[in-house]
Amino acid sequence: MMQKLRPYLTAFRVRALLETQYRGAALGGLVTQMFFGMVYAYLYSALYAGRDPAGLQATITYVWLQQMFFRALFMSDGELQQQIMTGSLAYTLCRPVDQHLYWISRNLAAQTVGALMRALPMLLVQFLLPADIRMSLPASPLALAQFTISLVLGIFCVSQIQAIGLACVMKTLDHRGLSSMLSLLLMTFSGNVVPLTLFPDSFQQLIRYQPFAQVLDAPIRMYLEGQPMGDWLINLVIQLMWIAALMALGRWMWARQLRNVTVQGG
Amino acid sequence: MRFLEAENLSKTYIRRVKPKDGGLSRLWKRDTQVINALQNASFSIDEGELVGLIGPNGAGKSTTVKLLTGILTPTGGTCRVDGRVPWLERREHVRHLGAVFGQRTQLWWDVPIHDSFLLLRDVYSLDKQAWQRRLDELVDALDLAEFLATPLRQLSLGQRMRAELCGSLLHQPRLLFLDEPTIGLDAVSKLKLRAFLKEENRQQGTTILLTTHDMEDMLALCQRVMVLGRGKLLYDGQLDALLRRYDTVHTLRCTFEGAVDLSALPAAIRQDRDGDAYALTFAPAEIPTGEVLSRVLSCGAIREMTLKEQNIDHLIARMYEEMKL
Repeated sequence: MMQKLRPYLTAFRVRALLETQYRGAALGGLVTQMFFGMVYAYLYSALYAGRDPAGLQATITYVWLQQMFFRALFMSDGELQQQIMTGSLAYTLCRPVDQHLYWISRNLAAQTVGALMRALPMLLVQFLLPADIRMSLPASPLALAQFTISLVLGIFCVSQIQAIGLACVMKTLDHRGLSSMLSLLLMTFSGNVVPLTLFPDSFQQLIRYQPFAQVLDAPIRMYLEGQPMGDWLINLVIQLMWIAALMALGRWMWARQLRNVTVQGG
Repeated sequence: MRFLEAENLSKTYIRRVKPKDGGLSRLWKRDTQVINALQNASFSIDEGELVGLIGPNGAGKSTTVKLLTGILTPTGGTCRVDGRVPWLERREHVRHLGAVFGQRTQLWWDVPIHDSFLLLRDVYSLDKQAWQRRLDELVDALDLAEFLATPLRQLSLGQRMRAELCGSLLHQPRLLFLDEPTIGLDAVSKLKLRAFLKEENRQQGTTILLTTHDMEDMLALCQRVMVLGRGKLLYDGQLDALLRRYDTVHTLRCTFEGAVDLSALPAAIRQDRDGDAYALTFAPAEIPTGEVLSRVLSCGAIREMTLKEQNIDHLIARMYEEMKL
C-alpha cells in the first residue's frame, strides 16, 4: 500500500517544499488578504451599526477565516495548465502514475502549504488590529477540532472541483476563460464574497448543501458555533459524499480526455 | 518477435481551417481539413539498436514518437513494444521508457534538480540504493555534480539538457526516445552528449530512437536511419547506403611542390584553381577514387591533399528534393 502511494506522497512533499520557496508571493497574499479582511470588517461594522453585536462579531470572524484560507480556493498548481498550453504534457503522460491522483497530490500540497503560509501570519497580525474588527476565538476547543477536520475535507473537495476544471482545459486547450469562471463560482458560492449565512433564508437550505459550501463555509460554521456530535457527523458525511461524487466525475473526465488528448506543438 | 514492431501505423488529425469565403461568417462557420500525419508506417527495431529518424519539418516524426510512447492513439494500424501495445497499456509501457524532448522540460522548473531526481525515484518506485548508484553514475558521466542543488531555471541550456537526460535515464529504461537532444547546444556540449549516448547504448544496451535535424548527430550515432516525409516512411536502412546513393561527387584538394601540369587528367575530373591549391571534382561512379589518386600522383609532387565528401546537409537537402518533400 505505502509502496503504491510513494509517488503521490513524494509529489506532495516536493510540491510543498517548492511552495515554501514562494515567500514573496505569500507576503503579497498576506497584504492583499489583510486589506480585504479589514475592508469587509469595517463594511459589516457600518452595516450592522449597533444592531445585533453577536451577529456582527460572528460575521467579522467569518470574513477573516475566509481571507485566511482564500488561497486554498484557487487552482494552486498551475503547472499542468501551462503544460496543456505548451504541450509539455507529453512528459507528464510518460510517467507510470495515475495522472489524476498525481495532480491532486501536487495541488493539495500547494493549496495547504500556500494557505498556511498566509493564514498563520494573519493570525498573528490579528493581535495588532483594533478590537472591533478582530476575529474571535473558536466557540470551544471542540469547535476548533471540528473546524480543522472539516477544513481538511474542504480542501480535498476544492481540489476535486479544480481537477474537473482541468479536464475541461484539456478539451479547450486554454485555461483562461475557465479559470476566471471557476474563480467566480468558487468565490461566490463558498461564501468568500458575501458570507453564505447572509443569503436570503429561502436559499439557505439549498446553498448550504451545494459542493462549494463544503469548502470553507461548512468548516467556518463549526468554528463559530461548535456543533453537537450528531450534526457534525452529518456535515462530515455530506462533505465526504461530495468529495466522492466529484472525484468519480473528475476521474471519468480525466480518463476520457487523456485518451483523446491533443499534445500541442511539434 | 522483435523488440518493437509497428504495422501500418497511421494517424490522422482533423484541423480547423479558415473558411474560403472570409468575412464575418468565420464567427460561426468552420471548415475542417484532414491531416495525414502518418500513413501506414511499418517498421521494427531490435533491442539495443540505435536508430535515427529524420525528415523535414512536419514529416510525422513527432507523431511517430508520440504513438510509440503511447501518448497518442493511432487511427489505424498497430504497434507492440516488448509485447505491449503502448496506448492500451500506457502505465506499464512507460515504466520502461525514457524520453527527452529537446524543447520541453520534464524536471521541475523552480526546484533543485536533485529534488526532481528524488521525485522520479519515487514515481518509478526505484530501490533507494540502486537509484543512488545509478544517480552517481549519471552525475559523473554527465558532469552534473556542481548543479545538483541548483534549481533548473538557473542552469544554462547545455547544463539543463544534461540534467534532462539524467532524469530520463535514472530508471534504466529499455527504450529511450530522444527528440532533438542537441538543439541549441555548443560544439563541446554536443560532442560530450554524443559520446555519452553512444556509451549508454553500448553499456546498458538501451534501445535509442533519435529524432534530429542535426546530421552530424546522425553520422556520429546512428548506423540505421528511417526517413519520413509527408507522413510516409520513405527509407529504412543503413545510413551509409543512403548517403552513398546521394553522395555522387567528391572533391580532392591538393597543392603541389613546384610547377605542375594537370592537362593530362581525363575530362571526368573537373579542375578548379583556388590560389595555390587545385580542387578536383569527380564522381566515384564514373572514375574510381583510386584511379584519380594515382593519376594525380603521376602529375607532380604533392605537398598536401584532402579528400572531401559533400556536406551531409547538402546530401539530405538533395534527397528531400528528389523525394519531392
